[in-house]
Amino acid sequence: MNPFSLARPKDHAATHALLTGRRFSLPLLKGGGMDVVDHLKEGLWKPDVVIDTRHLRAPGASAPISKDGQTIRIEAWATMSEIAASDILLKDAPCVAHAVGSAASPQVRNVGTAAGNLLQRPRCWYYRNEQFQCLKKGGGTCFAFEGENKFHAIFGEGPCYIVHPSNLAPALCITDAVVHLHGGKRASLPITDLYHTPDKGIRTEHNLEPGEIVTHITLSPAPVSGFYAIKEKQSFDWPLAFACAALQLDGSTIRSARVCAGAVAPVPWLLPGVDAALKGVDLDDDKALRAACAKATEGARPLSQNAYKLTMLPVAVRRAVLMAAGKKVEA
Amino acid sequence: MRRDDIPYSMPTTNRPRNAGSAISDDASRLDAVAKVTGQAIYSRDRYLPNSLFAGFIFCPYGKAKLESHASEAAKKIPGVVEVEISGREGQYHGHTVGHVLAESPEALRRGLAAVACKWVREPVRTKIRDGELAEPSPNAKTSDILAKADHVLEAEYETQVQTHCCLEPHGATIDHKGESATCYISTQGTFAATDGLSDAIGLPRSKYEVICEYIGGGFGSKLNGAGKEGVLAARLSAGHNRPVYLFRTREEDQTDTGNRPSGLARVKIGFTKDGTILGGLVQKFGGVGVGRGGGGMSFPSGRYNLGDIQSDHDDVRFNGGAPRPFRAPGHPQGAFCEELMLDEIATKAGVDPLALRLNLENSGARKEMLELGAEIVGWKNRAKTGSQAGVIRRGFGIGSAAWGSGQGRTDCEVVINRDGSIEARTGTQDIGTGQRTTMAIMTAEAIGVPLAFVGVRIGSSNLPVGPGSGGSVTTPSTAPVMAAAAARAREQLLTTIANLNSADASEFDVKGGEILRAGKPFMTWAQACAKIGGEQIVGRAKQGEGERGKGHSDGVQFVDLRVDTDTGVVYVDRVIAVQSCGRVICRKTAESQIIGGVIQGLSYALFENQVLDRNAGSMLNANMESYKILGPNDMPHIEPVLWTKGATGVRSLGEPPVVPTAGAVACAVFNAIGTPVRSIPLTPDKVLAALAGGGA
Ligand SMILES: Cc1cc2nc3c(=O)[nH]c(=O)nc-3n(C[C@H](O)[C@H](O)[C@H](O)COP(=O)(O)OP(=O)(O)OC[C@H]3O[C@@H](n4cnc5c(N)ncnc54)[C@H](O)[C@@H]3O)c2cc1C
Ligand code: SF4
Repeated sequence: MNPFSLARPKDHAATHALLTGRRFSLPLLKGGGMDVVDHLKEGLWKPDVVIDTRHLRAPGASAPISKDGQTIRIEAWATMSEIAASDILLKDAPCVAHAVGSAASPQVRNVGTAAGNLLQRPRCWYYRNEQFQCLKKGGGTCFAFEGENKFHAIFGEGPCYIVHPSNLAPALCITDAVVHLHGGKRASLPITDLYHTPDKGIRTEHNLEPGEIVTHITLSPAPVSGFYAIKEKQSFDWPLAFACAALQLDGSTIRSARVCAGAVAPVPWLLPGVDAALKGVDLDDDKALRAACAKATEGARPLSQNAYKLTMLPVAVRRAVLMAAGKKVEA
Repeated sequence: MRRDDIPYSMPTTNRPRNAGSAISDDASRLDAVAKVTGQAIYSRDRYLPNSLFAGFIFCPYGKAKLESHASEAAKKIPGVVEVEISGREGQYHGHTVGHVLAESPEALRRGLAAVACKWVREPVRTKIRDGELAEPSPNAKTSDILAKADHVLEAEYETQVQTHCCLEPHGATIDHKGESATCYISTQGTFAATDGLSDAIGLPRSKYEVICEYIGGGFGSKLNGAGKEGVLAARLSAGHNRPVYLFRTREEDQTDTGNRPSGLARVKIGFTKDGTILGGLVQKFGGVGVGRGGGGMSFPSGRYNLGDIQSDHDDVRFNGGAPRPFRAPGHPQGAFCEELMLDEIATKAGVDPLALRLNLENSGARKEMLELGAEIVGWKNRAKTGSQAGVIRRGFGIGSAAWGSGQGRTDCEVVINRDGSIEARTGTQDIGTGQRTTMAIMTAEAIGVPLAFVGVRIGSSNLPVGPGSGGSVTTPSTAPVMAAAAARAREQLLTTIANLNSADASEFDVKGGEILRAGKPFMTWAQACAKIGGEQIVGRAKQGEGERGKGHSDGVQFVDLRVDTDTGVVYVDRVIAVQSCGRVICRKTAESQIIGGVIQGLSYALFENQVLDRNAGSMLNANMESYKILGPNDMPHIEPVLWTKGATGVRSLGEPPVVPTAGAVACAVFNAIGTPVRSIPLTPDKVLAALAGGGA
């Protein structure tokens, strides 16, 4: 790890000034700082200043999670534990609370923040290893493509096959979330515009401009929503595939559905085909439900070691739908 | 919190089945509080004043030539003391080719980075199947058996590389003081660690001490003399006349400090319609990386009557780190193959796997254990293999183990001081089994005083010689000798009292910390000890004295699990572990040893796996995040059952509980889904492939 300064600017404006000023050449924001420290330890980043953001309060910020009319608000600094335990979210957008509560470990959730979770970098083991100068780091090859790609993407056109690491992002994608920013030309960005696929820029996953700071997130209630993740290990492990679903129900019949998958693509993966197929499905008709969920893998192109995700993804979707409806799932 | 603030004894009410099975039914680990409060000083905690810090330069690829380096530039980094390049080629990730010595850990890291090695990669082999594997060559007798059999099972069983993952990495702090030296080494053998040390340190064995008070994980890989780390730290400390601290990083620990080697077993076994096994061919390959030897698998184990087996073995080399002993070397991998093979034969023959084992078992004790375990787990609830429908399917499986009882060189001393305090001493170390606790219990019992009277000193080569912790010999070696030494000290004390009272020592006794004469209270322990002439009484005993454990330690395990057939995820619900170890000294540490073995076995069965990049040979999960180890949510209910029937002496317990688990899990998964998964770890992708008929 190289020496660096640690800054605690008094407000967003001062933070922006530090990010864009001349005093430092490689400034880096931190929320909880876990992903930042991982990068420092691995020798991937060598910032000259690390800027803490957890104390910054945007106008109107009160509690880490709040609700005003039909708008739910999550502050950038809200910890994952706070999100997972929020009464507001558990009632009005359970997919968000459950997605975040399922991530990592209690220790990580106590420190990790909403903004940090959305903007954390991928876990591809070549990306994380100093020795592999892959495409994402400016090199000439994707080592995963011909290498060990069991945990990589089944969707997307390449040329990088990461899966986006955030559990929170897919849940926000089905709740019309908006990411609020300070310091750039725009005040906000819909969550679905926050990320780009590797063909649109391989070095980064998100569309923030240098100097832009996430202040908070707003979203709409989705009281009938659910989340399901399939993991190898039930403690401290990354999902192999997961899904978030938000429904509108007429008794046990699905009037409309929005589903987003995670751990299968370089960005949160919306599944409009499944949304359409779920319309009109009776939740008690498991055959019909499974058939609709099978649409989840349309367009998937697995790599050499991850075809198993084709079996898993429809299962994750089906169980997320059932969870949303408050039905029992098998495990 | 001080140790004295918590009671020595805490009631254990949870496992009624084990009540009364041990010499001490309720003693807690003596150093429990020291360990959980951070007061216990591990070798890696030894930051000495004026210390230098050393680290290795190593190859990050499976095979590469060192084209260039900037060691001259690295020497100029402030705080860097020395840079040495000693090799030009790496044969595996972690292969060391030099070192850096610096004034601080930070300067060391900067120095290592500044060396900026340029490696030119070469093609690699990363697994057994990359090698040229001999074709099976059954001899005439084997061919004959296979030709005559009603059925022949042909299968290939595969196991992965498991790394030791010691929480405290391998390493040493060596403090050379000119005329003498103190060596703090994270070692499983305070005496074995002196191997190779005298030369490196430039002092005779009489001039230095090896100290290892606590060790943060020792599963076999720290039984390697002073290790590369100790030898280099010693040489550097001698050269610079300053303490040198050298501990491996996690990446190095995962790649260059040994592993449980991978294995591949191809079997062709002939059996009759009713499940009588006639014999056949077991062709095995051990994946030893760059190692020479060490890839053996205990298969067939000898526990079952498998007829005439022709067993062939080859070690296969590739570009990976070499194996080192790992808790029951060769056994868990062998047991996985053997147990799953038995269940496959049983299923084919239409025989219940328990009945098959009762029939094939060579040990009467294990047969009884099988019957007990079956009753506890509820074997009667087991559905026939392949008979279940539904998303969630339940499975039961069996595994077994046997372990001989060796002894290592052991001298013990028991000191009784005039102030009444007692000290039990031998130089051996505690790899976590509860060495201090068992020594104190043996001493207290032999003398007749409460446990709280006894203090323990271990972990130093200046103490009487004690065994290295390998082969599960530490407790069987020390416990009888400790008791003999304590009995001798007691005898001396009673003789002193008898002489002062002009009586015969046989009139006196010690019970509950009181001196009795003719069975009646005579004086307190303190009063008696105050009469000791000279400073203290020392009772000594050596290997061979005391009641030695005879025969085998046996174990059987039953696993009860569920498989989610939609996702392939395996959820283990219960493990019943029936285990013998002769006379149980301390119930809690014995139970904890069994539970720990089961946890490590489950982790091996379900998760752990060293992933080498097939093209570069680098270990991609050289950390403890993507190298997956069982966590709290993956913990089943584990019930250790202490089997003490006919117990004499103290026998091995360290390794056997890790042996049966993976085999039992594999059998249970087969029972649940009806298709064997012949490769561990049993990850969801493999289970789904088996369910889809993609084979094992
Ligand atoms: C073993 C393990 C397992 C895990 N499993 C999961 C999992 O299953 N699912 C999951 O979602 N996560 C998982 N995580 C990741 C964990 O949730 C993240 O480490 C965490 O969310 C990062 O949060 P942080 O606040 O520490 O981020 P930081 O490290 O502080 O920041 C991450 C990134 O965000 C940027 N950033 C932070 N705040 C702001 C801001 N306000 N504006 C602009 N940029 C900002 C930083 O510059 C940095 O690039 C796991 C982590 C570990 C270690
Ligand atoms: S998947 Fe992306 S991050 Fe991983 S090796 Fe390929 S290019 Fe690099």
